Amino acid sequence: MRRGERPMLLLPRPLLLGFLLLFAFQLLHHHAGRAQMAASYQALDKPLSAGVYNGLALGSEQLLGYLLTIRLQLHDNQAGQHFRYSLIDYDVLLDWLELVSTMNPGGEYATLLASRIYSQTGDADRLRQILAFIERRFDENPQLHWRRLAEASLLAKHKLHDLERALQMAEKIARQPASVQMPQWARDFRFLLLAELNEFESAIAIIQALLQSKAVADPDEKRFLEEKLTDFQQKLLDSQQKAIN
Amino acid sequence: MINGDAIQTAFVADFLRYSLALLALLMIATSVAEDYEFRQFERLLTMPLARWQYIAAQALVIACLCMLLTLPAALLISLYGNAAIGLYWGSALWLELFLLGILGLLAILSLEKIPQAVIFSLAIYLLAKFSNLISLMLTESVKFSDGSVASRVIEFIFGAILYVIPGSKAFAENDVFFAHYDLIAMLGSQIASVSIYALFLLAVCLIDFYRKEFNL
Repeated sequence: MRRGERPMLLLPRPLLLGFLLLFAFQLLHHHAGRAQMAASYQALDKPLSAGVYNGLALGSEQLLGYLLTIRLQLHDNQAGQHFRYSLIDYDVLLDWLELVSTMNPGGEYATLLASRIYSQTGDADRLRQILAFIERRFDENPQLHWRRLAEASLLAKHKLHDLERALQMAEKIARQPASVQMPQWARDFRFLLLAELNEFESAIAIIQALLQSKAVADPDEKRFLEEKLTDFQQKLLDSQQKAIN
Repeated sequence: MINGDAIQTAFVADFLRYSLALLALLMIATSVAEDYEFRQFERLLTMPLARWQYIAAQALVIACLCMLLTLPAALLISLYGNAAIGLYWGSALWLELFLLGILGLLAILSLEKIPQAVIFSLAIYLLAKFSNLISLMLTESVKFSDGSVASRVIEFIFGAILYVIPGSKAFAENDVFFAHYDLIAMLGSQIASVSIYALFLLAVCLIDFYRKEFNL
């Protein structure tokens, strides 16, 4: 059985006033606490020069490089609080990534963090900075970083919606000599992106060159290229007919 | 690198925290539910007692109960860790349990049934505990959904809910077992948060209790 209740207006006035006052106090306290939490974020310190860290490493540069990268990765977690990546200064972050790449040139950790973690920013300028970092690492060692540049190309296409930038990176991958070993799909990005840019003629030319050069030995890959060739030729024909009409 | 002692102490402290929270909640809910069941309210209202005095008495009972529950916990943590950490944990846990107790009092006064009151109080308690994580997930989901209206609306609603649930500073910080923190500053911040929120809850309790009609 539900108990009867008096209307709010029949309650003692001091009680209602006290309630409103305490409610307002709670709202203000919460609001102030949120502002304080954002202010309590400890910004990333600028790194010292690589020489200093190499000196401190006492011959274990790679190990120190890994430890510094782990510290960097844990930076957004402070005193049990997870902070948003938007609070991180990406200029300083990139200085750290450059530093750990210098200390550990044979490692993929810094580029992996860049392409998988710090690329999740919603800010286009910051994402461009990350992509430029990955590209620089690829220029230094294409064999080690081709996967990251392929990911960067996808990020440019899907997150930045910048097909030109994506194509630029895909072309860089495709132009690598055969001595840089990578699966054919990584090199295929170039013609797939060209087709997205409606550059069907260029895409067709690349596929035909690939098929004629006998560089592709895998029958599945060959079939994929032939299918794409037919698809692009059809699309090119359609677009030409549309232009005539 | 692996600080076994700290992990062990922190685990014991958290185990005690959640066990005592559940125990305190059940004890408070049972005691007020009995007042309903045995028509104690009707009897009390025939005496020269104001309703606010009943709420004040319940708040004092909760404070004493929490004190009794936290004292052994503080002693145990002092033995595992050190006296300063034990003292901090005891005080911070008392504040946390007191807040939960007042929340439980509000729940049982309003809902009048033990299961509903306990589930409601635990839901608010866990929501407050996970509020930072949920808030972060919602913010990220807005980004991943390219700022879709639905994600923004959910984030806005949750942001509004956060204003009426206790903030993360109202709870004992387990991080003290792993690193050096300013314990007095942390406790001061917790006292401020708990005082404001507990007073707010007591005001809601009073509003609800004054509105109730009892058949004398």
